[in-house]
Amino acid sequence: MASEVKLPRLGQGMESGTIVKWLKSEGDRVEKGEPLYEVDTDKVTQEVEAEASGVLLKIAVDEGEVPVGRTIAVIGEQGEEVPEVSAEEAQREEPAPAALQENGRPEEAPVVQATGGRVKASPLARRIARERGIDLALLRGTGPEGRIVAEDVERAEAAPAAVPAPVPVGELERRELTSTRKTIARRLTEAWQIPVFQLQASADMTRVNGLVARLRDGGTKTTVTDVLTKVCATALLLHREVNAQWTDDAILVFPTANVGIAVATPQGLIVPVIRGADRLRLAEIAAARSDVVTRAREGKLQRADLEDGTFTISNLGMYRVESFTAVLNPPQAAIIAVGAIQEQAVPIDGQLAVRPMMTLTATFDHRAVDGAPAAEFLQAVKDLLEEPGLML
Amino acid sequence: MPEISYREAVRDALAEAMRHDDDVFIMGEDIAEMGGSMGVTQGMLDEFGPERVRNTPISEIAIVGAGIGAAMQGMRPVVEVMYEDFLTVSMEQIVNQAAKHRYMSGGQLKVPLTIRTQGGAGWSPGAQHAQQVEAWFVHVPGLKVVFASTPADVRGLLWSAIYDDNPVVFFEHRTLYGIKEEVPDELEPIPIGQSRVHREGTDVTVVATGRLVHEALRAAEQAEAEGVSVEVWDPRTLQPLDVDALVASVKKTNRCVVAHEAVTRMGFGAEIAAVVQEQAFDWLDAPIERVGAKFAPLPFAPVMEEFVVPHANDVLAAIRRTVGR
Repeated sequence: MASEVKLPRLGQGMESGTIVKWLKSEGDRVEKGEPLYEVDTDKVTQEVEAEASGVLLKIAVDEGEVPVGRTIAVIGEQGEEVPEVSAEEAQREEPAPAALQENGRPEEAPVVQATGGRVKASPLARRIARERGIDLALLRGTGPEGRIVAEDVERAEAAPAAVPAPVPVGELERRELTSTRKTIARRLTEAWQIPVFQLQASADMTRVNGLVARLRDGGTKTTVTDVLTKVCATALLLHREVNAQWTDDAILVFPTANVGIAVATPQGLIVPVIRGADRLRLAEIAAARSDVVTRAREGKLQRADLEDGTFTISNLGMYRVESFTAVLNPPQAAIIAVGAIQEQAVPIDGQLAVRPMMTLTATFDHRAVDGAPAAEFLQAVKDLLEEPGLML
Repeated sequence: MPEISYREAVRDALAEAMRHDDDVFIMGEDIAEMGGSMGVTQGMLDEFGPERVRNTPISEIAIVGAGIGAAMQGMRPVVEVMYEDFLTVSMEQIVNQAAKHRYMSGGQLKVPLTIRTQGGAGWSPGAQHAQQVEAWFVHVPGLKVVFASTPADVRGLLWSAIYDDNPVVFFEHRTLYGIKEEVPDELEPIPIGQSRVHREGTDVTVVATGRLVHEALRAAEQAEAEGVSVEVWDPRTLQPLDVDALVASVKKTNRCVVAHEAVTRMGFGAEIAAVVQEQAFDWLDAPIERVGAKFAPLPFAPVMEEFVVPHANDVLAAIRRTVGR
């Protein structure tokens, strides 16, 4: 009995995934539990295991985006008849019923340009565009159903440039959106709607630098970020109103600090989470951070690595940025932006001293957190950085 | 130049050929004393006598079969099948005999037979007396197919059909017999396979046959008022087809509408659309539109007949679609 392989829901809120690669070919033997294909969701690329043993009879969706629950392959016995699943059918979106005009033709849709990456243009328009090196993707079609017709191409060429065009020094590059990029854009746009405020403080990092140096000498590869993670986790548990999340009918306050660390990867920004950082020793945090950052850069994170964060650290200190503000990482109520450690002249007991200073800028969701508790939290972070021994 | 009717033009071509050549004779149901059911052969019995203007029994297979035999014996017969609907009865003779003998005999035999017939809706004749079946014959190698839409065309083309050494199925349209056009004083043969541009235009080519040529010309006038320049092109001969002229016209206008009275599905327009997309794909700025009868037997009721067959408005609507109006 053939069984259909359907795209599973790999996490909450997942509605579709992009098939990246099949690890088996049609005709291959597949054992249940064996990795079968790779799927790119809005968070990670991950391998999905076969749920049945048998022969991979058909791959219905070779690659591309499909909604959750769509049949993407069939596993069965050799020679077994494959149920009707065409790639086209599997990938087809249900078209919205078009209103019919009196003559029975679907009413023309409002003019839209390319749909799904396909540019709709007449053969003549294509030929003229090809001959004159015009990119059809940049044109708006005025023909029936938004089709680009020859006139549109002619017009594009005839349009006088308002300003003398600069001499082009290369071709315009068009980078298709990855699902990670789309997710970043969607989430940041959401975050931008939230009323936020920022607080800034500088911490003397003399003790932290000493601590990191001593741990390194002892063979533990610790970084300032690791200390910061531990410090923030501790401060969050001391000021739990910051370790929170706004919802429409309640503010959720979390019992443990799951600290996300913003990591730049070739695919874009991604935030793996170190769970229960408040309960981990510094060496454990260092090991966990090293593991997730490495896997993030290799694109090998699992969904679980990215879920349930309660707070985020974004550190641009290594790029010599002095200070900056970060955009909230919803639904979390706070994020801290970390600048570079710089030697500065600071007055201490009436004397000028040169100390390694680091500027912290925290952004808070004002719906969940008021200024005073937020300030107390930031104060705690500063105090713990200046005297890590207070965490004992 | 004299102005004559389509009916007179057919008669004139027949009579001229018969005066010119003793081998030409005509044969069909009620064509002698009665002058044919459409009055086309009126008076011909008096001029040419019963040997050359022959009434036949009511048997289309016999009429065409006798014509084939006479043609293979060196005559140039013109047989009349009263309604093209009745061609079905003579199909065996036309498809398996007339179309094949020259090929199967390695050229030793030839069949210079002309099969005149007529059809077309617009006068409520019902489902069995007004069909348009020209596409069936274009599908048969060995036949030539002519469909003339004006008096001048029908005169010049019928002459060429009679003098062609291959069997020609020659379609006339019932509702065109009365229309008039100026024709040359002397009969000028029109070569088989040569199309006619009825009206020049730059925005869309309407390929039309038979009655739809006139509907297309009316639609073109209306389109012109709307600022759309329409070229109306009549192939006149469906087999062989004047492909070069067709392709040149579409390459000029970049849009194409095909219009005929026969049902759209599998109609001659489908072949036109295929040829155009094969040879002028990169010149097309809009999908090719087809105009034809709805896929239904012709109803008796005049309003229903009107509904089923295409008219100028249908051609105009198709023109507007191709230019995105």
